[in-house]
This record gives sequence, C-alpha cells and structure tokens, in this order.
Amino acid sequence: MGILTLLVFLPVLGAVVCLFVPKQQVRTVAVAFALATFVLSLSLFGTFFGGGEDSTEAIFGTQYGKLHHVERATWIEGKNFTVEYFLGIDGLGFPLFILTTLIAFLACLASWNFDRWKINKGVRAYFILFLLLETGMLGVFVSMDFFLFYVFWEVMLLPMYFLIGVWGGSRREYAAIKFFLFTLAGSVLMLVVLVAMYFYSDAPITAEMSRLGTEGIASGYRGEDVLISHGTFDLIELATNPVIQSYFAAKSTLFLGLKFAPVMFMLLFIGFAIKLPCVPVHTWLPDAHVEAPTPISMILAGVLLKMGGYGFLRLCYPIFPTGGERWAFFLAVVGVVSIIYGALCAMAQTDFKKLVAYSSVSHMGYVLLGIAVMTQAGFQGAMFQMIAHGISSPMCFYLVGVIYDRAHHREIDRFGGLWLTMPRYGTLATIGFFASLGLPGLCGFIGEIWVLLGTFGARDKYVWAVPMAIIAAGGVILTAGYILWLIRRVYLGQEREEYAGFSDASARETFVLIPMAVLAIAMGIFPMQTVFNYTNGTLDLMLAHVANATAMMP
Amino acid sequence: MYLLAQANAWADIPVGEHLFYFSPLIALVCTMLAIVACPIILGRGARTAAVVASLGVVATFVLALRVAGAVGDGGVSGLSTWIGGGILIADNLSVCFQIILMLFVAGVMWLWWLGSAEQERNAPEFFILLLGSALGMALMVSTVNLLMIVVAFEAASLPSYAFVGFDKRDRLGAEASLKYMVFGAICAAIMLYGASLLYGLVGSLSVVDVANYTVRHLAGGQAPILLWIALICFLSGIAFKISAVPFHFWCPDAFEGAKIEVTTWLSVVSKAAGLLLLARLATVFCTAVDYPVEMTLVRPLAWTIGIMAAITCTFGNFSAYKQQSVKRLLAYSSIAHAGYMLMAVAVFIHPSVEGHEAGLTALLVYVIIYMFMNLGAFGVTALVAWDTGSDKIESFTGLGRRAPWLAVPMIICLMSLVGIPPLAGFIGKWWILVALGSLHDTVGVQGWFSLSTLGWFLIIVAVLNTLFSLYYYLRVVVEMALKDEGQPRVRVPLGGAVLVNLCALALLGLFVLANPLKSTADRFSRDIFQATATLPAEPDSIASATDETD
Repeated sequence: MGILTLLVFLPVLGAVVCLFVPKQQVRTVAVAFALATFVLSLSLFGTFFGGGEDSTEAIFGTQYGKLHHVERATWIEGKNFTVEYFLGIDGLGFPLFILTTLIAFLACLASWNFDRWKINKGVRAYFILFLLLETGMLGVFVSMDFFLFYVFWEVMLLPMYFLIGVWGGSRREYAAIKFFLFTLAGSVLMLVVLVAMYFYSDAPITAEMSRLGTEGIASGYRGEDVLISHGTFDLIELATNPVIQSYFAAKSTLFLGLKFAPVMFMLLFIGFAIKLPCVPVHTWLPDAHVEAPTPISMILAGVLLKMGGYGFLRLCYPIFPTGGERWAFFLAVVGVVSIIYGALCAMAQTDFKKLVAYSSVSHMGYVLLGIAVMTQAGFQGAMFQMIAHGISSPMCFYLVGVIYDRAHHREIDRFGGLWLTMPRYGTLATIGFFASLGLPGLCGFIGEIWVLLGTFGARDKYVWAVPMAIIAAGGVILTAGYILWLIRRVYLGQEREEYAGFSDASARETFVLIPMAVLAIAMGIFPMQTVFNYTNGTLDLMLAHVANATAMMP
Repeated sequence: MYLLAQANAWADIPVGEHLFYFSPLIALVCTMLAIVACPIILGRGARTAAVVASLGVVATFVLALRVAGAVGDGGVSGLSTWIGGGILIADNLSVCFQIILMLFVAGVMWLWWLGSAEQERNAPEFFILLLGSALGMALMVSTVNLLMIVVAFEAASLPSYAFVGFDKRDRLGAEASLKYMVFGAICAAIMLYGASLLYGLVGSLSVVDVANYTVRHLAGGQAPILLWIALICFLSGIAFKISAVPFHFWCPDAFEGAKIEVTTWLSVVSKAAGLLLLARLATVFCTAVDYPVEMTLVRPLAWTIGIMAAITCTFGNFSAYKQQSVKRLLAYSSIAHAGYMLMAVAVFIHPSVEGHEAGLTALLVYVIIYMFMNLGAFGVTALVAWDTGSDKIESFTGLGRRAPWLAVPMIICLMSLVGIPPLAGFIGKWWILVALGSLHDTVGVQGWFSLSTLGWFLIIVAVLNTLFSLYYYLRVVVEMALKDEGQPRVRVPLGGAVLVNLCALALLGLFVLANPLKSTADRFSRDIFQATATLPAEPDSIASATDETD
C-alpha cells in the first residue's frame, strides 16, 4: 500500500475507530487521526524539495504529466475502457493536499468544544462524518482517473450535507439542501462529460489502431511506456496523448451537433464554477457558510472552494485547451464580476460571517481571472491565491467563531473595541483580516498581484485584458474598504460594557490560529519557498502544453 | 394445417435431460403443492408453512444455480422437439432471473416473518400466492411462445391481485386490489387480443415466427397496419407490468393499499419480469433472419421506448414530490426506476450484438442492485410502520436518534436510489448511461433523429432526473436526521435490523466490487436465446400460412 492510499484512507480508519470508542473519547480519536494524517502528509515534502534549477526537471519532468507516488490498479473493466484506481501527486495537487490535511486538523481541533455547542448531540456522528469528509477531499486531489475523481468528489457531498444540516444554525435545513442541490447540479454535468469521455477517447484510439494495424498506442509522456488500446479515464493520458488530443480539438468532432471541446469545457466549467463559486451560481455559499458550524465553515472556505479551481486546472485546461481559448473572454468576465460583485456584497453585510463568506466569492474571482487569461503569471497567481485564501479565510472564519462563542451574535455594528478587551485575539484577528485584504507582506497580496500582472501580460493576446485588469485592480480597493471598515467597527474604538468580561483567546484557540497566522506571514515574505517552488514546475509545463495545443488549433 | 403441425410437437415426450433444465420451475410447483398439503397433514401453523416454503425456495435456488452451470451456449428449448417452437426456454437469462427471484423471495419471507408471522392465520395462503406469482414471473422470462407469455402473465398477475388485498379486513387493501385487478384485467385482455391478432397474421404462436414475419414485411415495405396494432396491443400488456407511463395508474394505489411485504415484492420483481420479457422479445426481434442493418423499424421503436422511458422516470420523480406516505413515495420512486431500466431496453433495439449485450448487462446489474435498494428502503419503512403504526413521513422524524440502526441503512438505500457514489446505485446508473452512449446508427445516419442523439438525450434526461429525485429522497433524510421532536425510541427486532443493514452493506460492497458484478451480469447476458440460432424448419410454410390467413 502506497503512501497516498494510506493518507487518503487513514481518516476512514479513524471513523471506524470512532464507532467503537466510548463517547467521551471520540473527539480525542478524531483529532489524533487528523493530526496523524497531517504529520504523515508532511513526508510528501521530501519528494518536492529541491530548489536549484537542475532538480526542477527531476521533480516535475519535462512535460506535463509527471506524477509521484503513483499507484494504479484496475478497478472496473468495461468493454472499451478501464476504470483504474489511480493515485498520483504532482505540483498541482501537492500544496492543496497539504493544505487539506492542515485545515482538517485545525478544524478538528476547532471542534474540540463540541459539548458546549448549541446543538451538541451526536458527537460520534459528527466526528465520523468529519473524517469521511476529509477522505473525500484528500481523494479528489490525488485521483488521476476521472471516474475515481468523480467518486471522491461525490463522497464529500453527503457528509457535508449532514454537517451543515444537523449541527448548523437556525436555517440549517435550507442551507444544507441548497448546498446539496447546487453541488449535485454541477456534478451531473460532470457525469455527462464522464460518459462522453469514455466514447470520445475510445473512438480515436480505435481508429488509429486500425490504421496502423497495431495492438495499442504507446504514450511516452510519463517516462514509462503505457500501451493503451481503448478509451481511458486517465486524466494525464487524456491530456497528453496526441491521438486523443487532436481528436478532441478537431472541428469535425461533434457532440450533439456542437463542437466537442468547447461544449465539454463549458459543462465542466459550470460544475466547477458552482464549487468555486462564481457569480451567478454562488448563492449557496453565503447560506452554507452562515449556517454551518465554525469548523465546517473553515473546511468549506479552506478546502472545498479550492476544488473548483483545482478542477479547472486539472481537467478543463489540459484536456480541452481549445475550449479555454474559446471561452477566455467569458471566463474573465465571470471572474471580474465575481471580484467586484462579491466585494460590494461584502461591504453591505451586517452579519460578520456573511461578510467573510462574500469576501470568499470576491477572492475566488481572482482565481478564475488568473486562470482565464492563460499566462504564466496568471496560472501561478491563481494557484497561489487558492493556497493563500485557503489559509486566510479559515482563519477569518475561526476568528468569527471565537467571538460568536462568547457573544452569541454576529452583528458587526454591535461589536466594538474588542482589541482592548481581548488583546491576543485582536492581534491575531488583525493578521488574519489583513492577510485577507492583501496587504503587502502577507499572503493575500502575492496572489492578487500575480493575477493582475498575468492579466496585464495577456494584453498582446487579448484586447480586453487591460480593461479587465484595471477593473479587477479596483476590486482590491473595495476589499481594502470593507476589511478596514470591518476592523474599525469590530476591533477598534471604545471598549464596550457588554463585552468587558470576555476572556481572551484560550490556549486551544490560539493554537488553532497561530499556524495560520504564521503561514500567512511566511507566504507573504517567502512566496517561493512556501508555494511557488512546489507548484510552478507543473503549472509552467501545463501552460506550455496548453499553449502548444492552442497554437496547433486548426 | 399449421396448427396441427404445432400440436404434433406436444406429442413428443420430453427427455429427462431437458427436464433437468426446468427443475427450478418444477421445484417451485412442488413447493406450492407441499404447502397446500401441509395444513392437511401437519395443521395450519405459520411456522410449518414458512419452513416448507423456505426449504422449497432453497431447493429452487440450488437447482437454479446448477442449471446456471449447465446452460450457456444458446440455451435449451424444451418440451418440444422442434427447437424453434418450444414452449419453454432455459437459458442464461431465465436462470439468472430465477436466481434473483429466489434471493428476493427469501428477503420478502424474512420481512414477513418479522412483521406478520405472529398474527397471521393465513400463512399457507400467503406462501402459495407468493410462490405462485414467483412462478408466473419465472415463466414470463422463460418463453417465446405467445400463448405461454399470456398464460405466464396471468399466472403472475392473478396471485398479485389477491396478494394486494390479502388482509381482507383492510378496506384500503380491498380497494387497491380491485383497482389493480380491473386495470390488470383490461391490460391482459388487450394483450391477449394483440396475441390473437398476431397469431392470425402470422399463423404461429412462436415469437420467432412473428419476428421473421415482421422483419420480412417491413423490409418489403408492406407491413399491414394490423401488424402494428397487434404489436402495440401486445406490448401495452408488458408496459402495464412495468408500470410505464401511461400504464402506471395502478401502481401507487396498489402499493399503498397492500401490506408492505407485498409492496416490496411487487415493486421489484413485477417490473423486473416485465422488463426482462421485453428484453427477450427485443433480442428475438433483433436476431431474426434477414434482419437488415438499415432496418426502418429500429429507430421509431427505439425512440418510442426511449421517450416512454424518459416520460416514465420524469413523471415518477415529479409525482413523488408531494407524497406524505413513505410507502407511496417509494411507489412513485419505483415508477421512476422502471423508467431508468426501460432506457436500457431502448438500447436493445439495436442491430448490433454488442448493443443489446451492453443493454442487457446494464439491465441485469440494475435489477440486482435495485433489489437490495428497495428491500432495504421498504424494510426500514416496514419496521418503522409496524412500531409507530403509520408509514407517514412524520413517523420518521428523529429516527437518527430513535433508531440509528434503521436510519443509517435507510439513508444509504435512499442515496443509492438517487445514485450517488460510493453506493451501488451509481454503478447501476453508470452502466445504463454507458449503454445509452453506445447507441448509434450503423449506417451513419446523422441529424436530430439518429440513435446517437436518442442516446445522449436519454443520458441528459437520466442525469437531470438524478437531480430532481434528490429532493424528495432528501425529504425523508431531513425528517430522520435533521429533525427531532422527542418521540420515543423505535423498538426494532434484531432480525429486522440485520436485514436492512445487510442490504446497506451490500450496496457499499457492490460499489467496490463493481467489476465482479459486471462480469457476472455479462456472463448471464451472453448466449441468450436468439432467433437466428433456431431457424424454423420450413421457412416457406410461414409464408404459405400467412397467405392462408390473409
């Protein structure tokens, strides 16, 4: 059993153990397993450490598609295709994988005071579902088979539904069902693509085989000879096999009378856009965030939203590069609208948590914009923005949760002067919100500036790139506006009578916040050492692959 | 003349070797006789009847497994020396259905034992009706003879009518039974009428001859309008069994009125038998002699069945939205699932062998998975209804706390019915989608009415229906997990909890073991009875016979 299988299914093992230990011990077991998963996942760093120009090639290969810790086994054999249990990790999945184990551990720790929640029944069920959710998330980032990817993608749904629906706030039922319906709507579109992938990858291979009279077509991109003789769900194969690629991109390949690649790209895009989320399919997010318990909000913001961005980068662009070219303007518009609209909405909120939720919509808009322009800085910035947001937004949500535990309300206007009352909490809160704001020196800045630079850099390709970049830069001002205004209203000002008795952040709360604060600063100061070194290799190769494919487009 | 020729076939006494292939059916009949004899000899105890019935079911199951090992190359057509005119067929499909049937009978008997055994005074009658309808359904899938199809159809239906109104003091059950019977009788009459018209046209009772006749006349471009009427009449009877829209009206009422064991029984096997019969007929038609590739029949027929399937599943899902009774909700859900399975049948009407093998595999996989899903869901409903006295959705409130060992399997079964991984329901749906995607015209017809358009249209309908259906299944889940009004705990008999949890485990297990499941279904969908394998003795005599009838 390889390290990835172990990591992905360790939380399931934890869930099984939770089933049998006494009720009082459940949270200990859950935290222990989350911690074990996190610590064990750190061992993956060994693979990606290197620095230096010469080792880049060894780590990331010379062409898109080099994977590490590969595990493959045949799972389902159809007539013309094989579904594989195929795990692997590269520069795209690796940082998100570590992020997931980290945030899951911190969120698990944030659930430690479960007994004192408003709804504190079913502690066993809560932690079991939590661990199952972690397995689903981890699986998504390492599955290299489309079918398996889809399965893990769906595995997350049910635990998330219950975690929001059972332990959420007053409108939890509504929020949970909305989350479920929106996400499932996205995944049924993905299911259509999944079925299409089977037939459309089989057709060219079979045709080519009969033309050449061979038994199979070797694909040499992974450094190993893989002989494929029929359709495949292998995400790397789909992206790099020239026979499949040229068939997908050909104008004559039709899906229900429409050109294949743009249609597939769009179906996948809608599915991932719901998860990301972009305007106008973002409406589930504020509801889900506001109703979900704090640790679940952390998971939602920290990891689940990243799956949308990961999906674009893993599926849409490498497999349908021509689709990306075709829809670039549309995607950029959606991204910019999300940035501006999310920021304006955030500015109008009176609910603390809802404000943070809308800020997520705004921040994820940068991810979409950066990806849409298909430049080096754009891709890198989008990836960085995902990781940065994966650190800063769980932190913000936890900060909201900490104060909610004491005040039992979230109305921004009723707070004030909290920094004086709770100095340690106030300091950490400032770091968290400034990171979210994108202050230079903190993590949010690098991602946004890289995306903006990438968008400007696309001006030779697209006439609309510069106006887009300018509008998106305006979003930064709006962000600064609502965050600074928020800090003024909540943390600064006169100390208030009603909050005078509040205790400062406890040791556990501080322990949850510190890692995120440290990372927020470290990523702002050492972007290369913390993120770029691990991701850029894969991203650049992917971009080269995409550019190559679009250049050859008929 | 021709009638006589057929009648001569009866004169030959079947050889013992052939009888072996029909031993499961014979065992089933013997079991029924034993249950009739039992009260006379041993008294009318529920226990006695149950033991005898169980023994019979086990014997039938074992025999079916043995036959499954023996058949495999095109099937055996027994009770006649002329192979094309056989009354009964034993092949992979029929044996597979018998195995599924016996597994399911065991499940239903288990459920009955938990719920009704104590106060039941009519146990022998219950088992006779159960096994009687099982026999009828087994026969439906084991024949290509028009007369035998009608007889088997009635043999399956008549016990079902009585079954629905089994509790004679229950007014709702009596009403449901009457509705079911009236509707069923009309459909059976229409079917019989269609069969007699077909006989009149073709001059033979064998579906093989009917298929050859149809194909030949269509290829010549001179199909009499009467042929279409006859075929439609005949197929409407099958649509009644499947409860495809617009022949579904009996389904919700009968399911709601009947005892829950009976509902469980009808919801799975009645549809499965109808679908597999349809699959068999489609196979015979597609393998008929001179079946031309560019057959004009293919597209209209595939489109008709496809549209019917699309309407059926959409209708079933939307009708389930407002239901207050979980039993009725599951009844509508079963209509929706009949729609999904009917989609697989649309694939059969495909000129290539791979086409209908893909469709049949998908159908068998789906039926097997569907059996576990429905047994689990109805089982939990039954256990809750017996304890609380109501199958209304309110009686499920807070079940997550009141009986976690019922709530968890219920959630698993319902989500599997939606078709969400990692549950087996998704695998069932996946193979149907794959089969639909493989639909295409062999002669490269393009455009909006091509078969590949139909396939993708049905795929989109199916995935959208997944989305629609989520909402009403979630209503039950919401009641169980998200609400709690402090009702007392539910007392669950241990056997009941074991049954439903086994079903849930099977759904998880079959997802992981998707490949063995597929290869099993593959094995049983290969080499089934085909028209080409059994050329009629004198092709010319058919033509002359039709001339006479014309």
